[in-house]
Amino acid sequence: MNHLATKYLRPSQIPTKACHGCGIGMIENWILQSIEELGLKREDVIFGTGIGCVGRQTFATWGGDNFGATHGRALAIATGLKLAQPDKKYLIVVGDGDAASIGTSHLIHAARRNLGVTVICEDNMGYESTGGQFSPTTPAGYVTNSSPYGMVEPSFDPCDVVKAAGATFVAETTATQWHQTVKIVKKALQNDGFSFVHVRFPCNENFGAYALGTRDTLKNLEWIYEHTQGRKADGSETDFTWETGIKHDASNSRPEFTRILRDMNARVREKLGGGPA
Amino acid sequence: MSTVTTDTLVAPWAEWQERFTRGRRLLEAGTYALTEGAITAGCRLFAGYPITPATDIAEYMSKRLPQVGGYYMQCEDELAGMHACAGGSLGGLKAMTATSGPGFTLMHDAYGWAITNEIPVVVVDAMRVGPISGITGAPGQGEFYVARYASHGGNFETIVLSPSSVQESFWLTVDAFNLAERFRTPVTILTDQVISDMWEDLFVPEGDDLDFVVPRRHNLMMPFYPLASDALDVPPNIIGQGTGVCVSAYTHTEEGYDIEAMEAQWAQTYRLVNKIRHHRDQLTRYETVGVEDAEVIAVAYGAAARTVKTAVREARGRGVRAGFVRPITLWPFLDELYARDVPYLVCELNYDGQLVREVMRSAPDKTRVHFMGKSAELHTVAEVVTALEGVARQGRIPELPYIWTQVR
Repeated sequence: MNHLATKYLRPSQIPTKACHGCGIGMIENWILQSIEELGLKREDVIFGTGIGCVGRQTFATWGGDNFGATHGRALAIATGLKLAQPDKKYLIVVGDGDAASIGTSHLIHAARRNLGVTVICEDNMGYESTGGQFSPTTPAGYVTNSSPYGMVEPSFDPCDVVKAAGATFVAETTATQWHQTVKIVKKALQNDGFSFVHVRFPCNENFGAYALGTRDTLKNLEWIYEHTQGRKADGSETDFTWETGIKHDASNSRPEFTRILRDMNARVREKLGGGPA
Repeated sequence: MSTVTTDTLVAPWAEWQERFTRGRRLLEAGTYALTEGAITAGCRLFAGYPITPATDIAEYMSKRLPQVGGYYMQCEDELAGMHACAGGSLGGLKAMTATSGPGFTLMHDAYGWAITNEIPVVVVDAMRVGPISGITGAPGQGEFYVARYASHGGNFETIVLSPSSVQESFWLTVDAFNLAERFRTPVTILTDQVISDMWEDLFVPEGDDLDFVVPRRHNLMMPFYPLASDALDVPPNIIGQGTGVCVSAYTHTEEGYDIEAMEAQWAQTYRLVNKIRHHRDQLTRYETVGVEDAEVIAVAYGAAARTVKTAVREARGRGVRAGFVRPITLWPFLDELYARDVPYLVCELNYDGQLVREVMRSAPDKTRVHFMGKSAELHTVAEVVTALEGVARQGRIPELPYIWTQVR
């Protein structure tokens, strides 16, 4: 077993139940590399997930304390948990359904509060564990099992949303950018505030098969890579481009949410003449 | 005709209120009593979303919690509110949320998560008239069954308590926190607009000797989920101590991993259902008046019980040997309170009939269980006296305006 897995993961839950060629395990490996490079230990990090491919494949893989939330609510749970356990690092690893659809209100408000957690949104551009329906991050026009004539809704970029809401670190990367992703996740974890990292990765079984016409992992990764470059291998332009990299870095520029509450409590108690809680 | 009746209260606070007499004596609202009960019980996190008639609990909490080193969170919605409570409780804080029907529905997502993961949380549902927004400032009792089935999927039991005075709101909240800790499960306080909003005498005990509070303990080792066990007083799990605990929405192993196996489903269900069913003796709370010699027994809880109890005494004065049963524990349902083979008059604040169906199931003769439903206003004493006389003498409730008697 890879030394990062030995050091940080739960042997009984490895390998995960992910499909052949899925990017989830690879991205988790990169996250572990970031954690190791920061010198963090198992007990320093609380690992939270949601529902869907990303939740199901990563839940309980982390060797330390972890939780798998109801769909979309990982950040709501993390908010209460962070109040109780403020000194931990929080890795909230969720999918596009959790972050960009069913749980978007929690995402926005966690960003607004500058809650001290790092959200890794692993985006396979659709609901793949339910068989490949479109999600709010599916590119417009693409065919999925619930958009057989092409996705008619415009897609939306969760990075724009959290930045507008007040996130202090926002970055976008893909499963084709190993070193960049490690660097970004490290920066995200060093922000004592709300960090959001959007990582697109291919689903071969559904998105690949129906939207791109192939279950070939390399071809699907290549499609993602081309869209980060704006050019296909043959030199022609892609239908759209993803601008990857750090989108917004205001790390440690404003107080973390639970810190604000603790400071307020201290002021109230001082005024009352009370001792520590 | 005898007017002497025995008045019995079976609840832990019957003893607490005898033993603790030092404290503050106030004139306060039910919402204030709930807040102070929670603070006394050690609640240090409130996360919720304002809704009439539970809003005052949020406001009181926003003032009180910082004073005792706790946290008030006004969330983006009730989904976030109860999930944040569950998260805070997993981190070691005793937590409470408060809402009304429309918000209670939104909490069912988190309620099920807390049940499955055995997370202590107290949830206040201050009922109003429905369905949906209904009449926001009027008393209703439409969530009797919703509180029992506060999540989907089955395979669980719930604990639901209902107060009927301001003082009882205080004691019962302490009790709810204790039960949540001991049973490792969410506990619902099913109150209503009248009991929440009204002001009455309130005694809040003070001192370092309040030994009736069950403190938070932490389970620091396996098994995190004692499967196929009905054990009480298992300390709750904690996230943040590096135990490696897993908490999720899935059917789990004793470590907390997700598992798709019939045997695991059986073992988890045994735990979630029987830790409550096998300890019903720890959950018995009720009040009765004169049931021993009663020829007709009126049944009501919460706000409705207040006028009904007065009517029972009034009826005694008018020659009807009336009795009174007020279940305080609504779930698990106390079937034993309806053992006498006499007619029952079930008064509740809804027209569809909810509590009455459980009394019909429990009573020896369901054809003699009468329903007296009213909505948006309390039953008057006169209405209930008329109904008690009617049931005792003619075997039926006389026709009364705005009173519903049909159950099917």
